[in-house]
Amino acid sequence: MSTDLSHTGRALLDRRAFLGGSLGGLAGIALAGLLRDQKLLGAEPVRPLIRANAPLAARPAHFAPRAKKVLVIFCSGALSHLDTFDYKPELIRRAGTPLPGSDKLITFQGEQGMLTAPLYSFKPRGRSGKMISDLLPNLANLADEMCFIHSMTAKSNTHGPAENQMGTGYTLEGFPSMGAWVSYALGCEAGDLPAFVAIPDPRGVPQTGAAQWAAGFLPAVFQGTAFNADRPIPHLARPDSIAPAADVASRDFLKLLNDRHLEQHPGDTALAARIASYELAGRMQLSAAEVGDLSKESAATLDLYGANDPNKLKAGFARNCILARRLLERGVRFVQLFNGAYAMGEGVGNWDGHKSLKKQYDVHGPIIDQPAAALLSDLKSRGLLDETLVLFTTEFGRMPTFQKGASGRDHNPRGFTVWMAGAGVKHAFSHGSTDDFGYQAAESPATIYDLHATLLHLLGLDHERLSFYHNGIERRLTDVHGHVIREVLA
Amino acid sequence: MLSLFSHFARLIRPIAVWLGSCLCAISTSAAEPVDFARQIQPLLSTACYSCHGADRQKGELRLDLKSRAFKGGESGAVIVAGKPDQSLLIKLIAGQDPDRIMPAKGDRLTAAQVELFRAWVAGGAAWPDDSPAIAAAADKANLWSLKPIARPALPNVQQTDWARNDVDRFILAKLEAAKLAPNPQAERRALIRRVTFDLIGLPPTPSEVDQFLADSSPDAYEKVVDRLLASPRFGERWARHWLDIVRFADSHGFEMNQPRPAAWPYRDWVIQAFNQDLPYDQFVRQQIAGDALGADAATGFLVAGPWDQVKSPDPGLTAQQRADELHDMVAVTGSTFLGLTVGCARCHDHKFDPIAQLDYYRLTAVFAGVQHGERSIVTKKDSPRRQELLAARGALEEVEKKLKRFLPAGESMARSPIAATMNEERFAAVDARFVRFTITASNNGSQPCIDELEIWSAGDAPRNLALAAGGAKLAASGTLPGYAIHKLEHLNDGQYGNSHSWISNEAGRGWVRIELPAAAKIDRITWGRDREGKLVDRVPTEYAIEVADKVAGPWRSVARSTDHAAAGKPAPYVAKTDAEKSELAKLLAEQKTAKETVRRLAEEDKIYAGKFVQPGPTHRLFRGDPLAPKEAVTPGGLSAVHPALDLPADAPEQQRRIALANWMTRPENSLLARVIVNRLWHYHFGNGIVATPSDFGHMGARPTHPELLDYLASELIKNGWHLKAIHRLIVTSAAYRQSSAIRAEAQAVDAGAALLWRYPARRLEAEALRDSILAISGKLDLTMGGPGFDLFKANTNYVRVYEPREDFGPEQFRRMIYQHKPRMRADGVFAAFDCPDAGQTQPRRPVSTTPLQALNLLNSQFILQQAEFFAQRLAREAGDDPGAQVRLAFVIAFARPPENAETAASIELIRAHGLPAFCRALFNANEGVYVH
Repeated sequence: MSTDLSHTGRALLDRRAFLGGSLGGLAGIALAGLLRDQKLLGAEPVRPLIRANAPLAARPAHFAPRAKKVLVIFCSGALSHLDTFDYKPELIRRAGTPLPGSDKLITFQGEQGMLTAPLYSFKPRGRSGKMISDLLPNLANLADEMCFIHSMTAKSNTHGPAENQMGTGYTLEGFPSMGAWVSYALGCEAGDLPAFVAIPDPRGVPQTGAAQWAAGFLPAVFQGTAFNADRPIPHLARPDSIAPAADVASRDFLKLLNDRHLEQHPGDTALAARIASYELAGRMQLSAAEVGDLSKESAATLDLYGANDPNKLKAGFARNCILARRLLERGVRFVQLFNGAYAMGEGVGNWDGHKSLKKQYDVHGPIIDQPAAALLSDLKSRGLLDETLVLFTTEFGRMPTFQKGASGRDHNPRGFTVWMAGAGVKHAFSHGSTDDFGYQAAESPATIYDLHATLLHLLGLDHERLSFYHNGIERRLTDVHGHVIREVLA
Repeated sequence: MLSLFSHFARLIRPIAVWLGSCLCAISTSAAEPVDFARQIQPLLSTACYSCHGADRQKGELRLDLKSRAFKGGESGAVIVAGKPDQSLLIKLIAGQDPDRIMPAKGDRLTAAQVELFRAWVAGGAAWPDDSPAIAAAADKANLWSLKPIARPALPNVQQTDWARNDVDRFILAKLEAAKLAPNPQAERRALIRRVTFDLIGLPPTPSEVDQFLADSSPDAYEKVVDRLLASPRFGERWARHWLDIVRFADSHGFEMNQPRPAAWPYRDWVIQAFNQDLPYDQFVRQQIAGDALGADAATGFLVAGPWDQVKSPDPGLTAQQRADELHDMVAVTGSTFLGLTVGCARCHDHKFDPIAQLDYYRLTAVFAGVQHGERSIVTKKDSPRRQELLAARGALEEVEKKLKRFLPAGESMARSPIAATMNEERFAAVDARFVRFTITASNNGSQPCIDELEIWSAGDAPRNLALAAGGAKLAASGTLPGYAIHKLEHLNDGQYGNSHSWISNEAGRGWVRIELPAAAKIDRITWGRDREGKLVDRVPTEYAIEVADKVAGPWRSVARSTDHAAAGKPAPYVAKTDAEKSELAKLLAEQKTAKETVRRLAEEDKIYAGKFVQPGPTHRLFRGDPLAPKEAVTPGGLSAVHPALDLPADAPEQQRRIALANWMTRPENSLLARVIVNRLWHYHFGNGIVATPSDFGHMGARPTHPELLDYLASELIKNGWHLKAIHRLIVTSAAYRQSSAIRAEAQAVDAGAALLWRYPARRLEAEALRDSILAISGKLDLTMGGPGFDLFKANTNYVRVYEPREDFGPEQFRRMIYQHKPRMRADGVFAAFDCPDAGQTQPRRPVSTTPLQALNLLNSQFILQQAEFFAQRLAREAGDDPGAQVRLAFVIAFARPPENAETAASIELIRAHGLPAFCRALFNANEGVYVH
């Protein structure tokens, strides 16, 4: 690409004066008064040092990080903890009887039926003997890698606000996603790739869609770039109607125009930064195409993930898992891999098993199990797990009862399970618990604020000091809450 | 609200623990003076702040602020410096008074900790002074923005030939104080491009540029400004800014995120208001209470925010959703009009600003009757839709008149059977103050039910006078007890369906009575059992409707059940001959069509501007938890903004909003004018005089030019709240007309140009960028108003799937403000340019530069298509000569002719790869994307 920055532009961008939020307030409004007062109080925000010409360049954390990057696997629709990872013998024993105290209990879709045993049987797994169900046998085999939090709680029992909370920390609309916060704080080591990539399921996007990777009120540069193995970054490739030579000539001409314009406006760093963004776009066209090209993957790898499986949805999700690994390998900071989508309706293409849970999970289980397990073990065998934190999560749990008159479980934000693996967290460890029926968090209840605080902590970020001024408030991923769950730290 | 104090408490907690374990060591080294910040404050924080801190001050004692701690509380002083034995604090923590041991809750302090306190007091109780912000927080009401607007004297300046109007005096005085000189005036091409984008959001046309360049009159620039301010494009440009602030979108958000097809009238209202220069105080009042002011669409403001369509029988979820809706209305009203972060007081008193939690819930009570949804509006008499509706009603009446001759003798009118859904009773106009509906039988013998009873005023613009929100009052024989969904107040709450209905407590009988707010002429009553059409039992089948004009009786009958055919039977028309039969069939078909037309047009008369129902009591919610209601609160305003607004608990719904609107727009309210003139300044210069346009509180920025802010605010009030005059004042100033050139020596002093030694250059916003590309290609469609165009593919999934479209036709070539803008779903090309998603209010857009923006402008179908159109335009308007084409292209795109080197390079590109390749590059150029 011949669109390198001119001498003038380069000199401008390299100047020290260019550092910091001098351009358009990328790090937010650093109000003198705010800083002064908060310093006095001891918890002043740490403003990321953002170079406007390279706003996604890697930035130091607040303290030494345990993990350099993050992979979030998000199961859309609320994966039942009771049929997967949270083993409750009492629930099996008392199946067919009412949940004590549930006669007046109205949950999201209404009244309760009887307690219902897990629909998949549990077995001890790995050396740790962790009890995990047969729904996800391949993932279960990796139990010794996993660090479970069984006492998760969410604030809402409806998908929109609850997915918002898991993705952005707030149940309301319009807050920055966790990946956007991390991009804002840390930038990225993959120079020519986005810092934050969201990989939608082959079936579509989750209920709250792009809100899961939105920048909210953060600058748009920090929003997630959504693409998957079958749908590349929009507008990445040169359109077929433009001949390669015409493309090069147009961009050379553009550079000439921009350089002359910059000469007319000496010292204007915004103009130089925009010229630099075209250089980066050119490199991204090559590197993003390369990362999305799975043809160099070995047959063994493709088989490991199930990328050639006759089940097209499974094969598609497997390709997304391979893409996730390739992105992490190349230094992308935050990869969010979505499993399940809402385009097809309740429970059909996602984990929202209200009416006939077994029938639906029999379909969804095989789609996620082998590919996700392959991803985890592939990350491990390539040494990537040493620097990557994996978080396997969903928006809330499901009820230990069947819904009255149905064969599925209703929403339950009072107790659910997530697990982490990889950099900075314990292996073969379980933290917290729900009650005997798996209904409510009992021991060491954890909030989503706590989960986010822990995730940021592992990345070397103090969740109370990572903030951005918006409309009167220093906003944080964790609002005014959150405690690092120290018990899970390795 | 971010709680800095609680941050602090958490942050120092580990320190306190550490201190506790090390105290012996510290206290034995007696020579060391006790360090307040390190040793005492952490203990105060863990042991005392929960009762004597920012949130609570038991016994009126507050220990987190020096000024308050030394003042003491109800029991007088608690710390007497140098005298631990006379200090109540020491006495109580040491446990010397067995009835009053402190802390009253939690662990006692250890002996070592008590000793530490004693040593600290004995040593003089050294406590650093509170910081200005902390001191201000202690005296929250002492907020600069709440002080009366004082019209300042014009400052003296040394350079006397620079100022063009009074605005410049304020700017220049600050510049001179900082030893900075302003830039010279920008050259004319830059100036017309700047002011045109700024005022109308589009590039100047070549002829507009030429005209300005050729105009040697001294007011050439002012003429341009006046032309732009008068352009309909002005309202479109500035409405876009306003819609950012009020988080407007054309879909609901959250999980389902379905479209709001009738939300656009609010957007159009804003555009019209700006174009017509509606005085700002009226602009505000109409958005709060437009339903009472002849501006129905304006109340779209109240419900412009997100709304979760997913409903559940879970009462906890339902309460949370409702609390979130009201929070959105209260918070956005506070930040939009008052520049105060009222939303921060949802869970506790505002930490810094004079906004009590009680204030928040008093405002919530004002909006408690506002529901999301569409409402029928009374359109203006002369509007085409109104005419159409009247014509359709007339046609229906004509058909029904003709049908009358097929009625047997004794039948007075075309009787439709009583329906469970909706029944209309028409009668000759009559004066009424009271209306009574007496039921003597129901279709299944059980207690009869009415979901809504509407009483319509006679005349061209009928209004439902029965609404509680309008002040109508109810009485009834009795109401079925024990059901929240069946209450008497549901009869006139504006909500349809069984869940909002009245049921009598007697089988087959009962009466209801409505007292109108004032006597009025009425000619129609509509009522139903379940307008949602789900339930068909409990339908009143024998009833009488009577009116009384002054007091409740004597009664005069206006309609009765016998006016209808028996339920389930067709209207009893009789036709004998074949000709009659075919005539009847024809008329019945016409009647059906006419009814359908009336229904459709009446339906189209609905806008997404909120539904108003009389609310029940509002409670303060403990920590904002809707399941933890505390005392009932009455509707009111912020206690710190005087004079106070206090309304009775049962104030009619509409009256609450009218009162709030009037209270906010009183001249004594210093915030209203300051906040809006600052917003205008912010959009003209890219930075406000106050850098935080929606936060004029202690946590927000202070004004860089406080006198200028007050000057502009007082000008606005003086001129009768006309915003265009303020725009004109700003853009005709010398400060605005400066060049944007960067001078290193000035940059070193004031890098952000807060003092305005230069005009700060800016990138175009997403919408202005798209609009300008369309203007340049010649395809921009300037059709104003009406339903928006869609940038997403059609989709009917119940959870709406938004897939950006890749093919664009003329309907997508209108200005982007007319996009049907979905919430939280970004358009595929321009959203990357920091376009807000309408999830939260966005009073100040960030500006970031990303490679995705470059890819979108290089490779999207939209750009390729517009490049083709631009090429066609150049060929059409400049002929075949590449030199002429290039000259025209530069003038259209950049408002200037090309330089020789540019011309040469352009021609080379065009010769080798054609005009579209050249046009594609121009759309990407910095010069077109930035305004200098």
